[in-house]
Amino acid sequence: MIFEKILSLSKKEQEVTDNMREHIKLLCSACYLFRTALEKDDRNLMRNLIDLERESDSIRREIISKIYDGAFLPYLRPDLCRFVEIVDHVFDVLEDTAHYYLDGKIPEQIKNECIRIAYLNLKICEMLLITFEAMLKGDDLREKTLAIRIYEKKIDDIKFSLIKDIHKIPVSNFWEGKILSDFISSLTTISDIVEDASDYLQIINVSMK
Amino acid sequence: MKVQELMTTKIESVDADRTVYDAVEKMVDRRIRSLMVRFPGKDLNYGIITARDIVFKVLAKGLNPNDVKVGEIASKPVACIGKNAAMNEVASLMEKKKNARIFVCENEKIIGIISLMDIMAGALIMRARGEHDF
Repeated sequence: MIFEKILSLSKKEQEVTDNMREHIKLLCSACYLFRTALEKDDRNLMRNLIDLERESDSIRREIISKIYDGAFLPYLRPDLCRFVEIVDHVFDVLEDTAHYYLDGKIPEQIKNECIRIAYLNLKICEMLLITFEAMLKGDDLREKTLAIRIYEKKIDDIKFSLIKDIHKIPVSNFWEGKILSDFISSLTTISDIVEDASDYLQIINVSMK
Repeated sequence: MKVQELMTTKIESVDADRTVYDAVEKMVDRRIRSLMVRFPGKDLNYGIITARDIVFKVLAKGLNPNDVKVGEIASKPVACIGKNAAMNEVASLMEKKKNARIFVCENEKIIGIISLMDIMAGALIMRARGEHDF
């Protein structure tokens, strides 16, 4: 409720929250694009992720400069900036994952499980957007952050089974194995960072009360 | 919410002619409570063996798990549901069949499995989204 009051103070704050919403929506679009490109094995589509990451950088800069230009009370600014940086970090990891995909080849044995993780990454980002909207309304975030943890646990379970599976896949050289390992590691790290972002929303929400 | 969102697609299985000991070894190693049992023959000729089956039908009776074949104690046929079914439909089917796990099937093939825990997780996610299927 207090957050609602703080947000209704000025146009600047409204602009910042609109940009933050746009940032998370862009993240959902990026996850959707990643999943579609992986499903269709479309390398050109996957390259578009690099443009989305640049767009995310530009939104992040805009948000941070608006915040330090006087939006919000000073004590709130570092927390809001940190949240925006965590969301931006998800874009960075997603872009890295796209690069690993473009550099290597995903073995057929694990392709379906990777698509499944990409699908769950999209769902967890959609839940982050729902959590953000709930925070703006001053709602309790407990149910929302729990849903994010459920998705994260689901991805973790698939990760451990994938790691076991890749031990059985023959690789022709060191780099092929490294790229595959890095691809899986990046793909499964996205949900961890989104979970961190949701924890941060919870911290911001609690600190308002 | 549809079943495909939370189903587990990686299904561990064992052949019906393997021993219960093999099944126990796999379940303990993978930390899972059930295995899909493959019977020879056509597609969808599957069964399921759970930790409960092993403990009640073999160990509690003092039988040697090396002497009992998985096919002898597996439950068959398995209950199946489509990937686009709603979570409340699965919950009803589980209640009707008295099963804690339901297979997800598409075109005569098993593509996933959904458990009681998945149903509970689904219910929590739906609440968080503001959907109220249950």
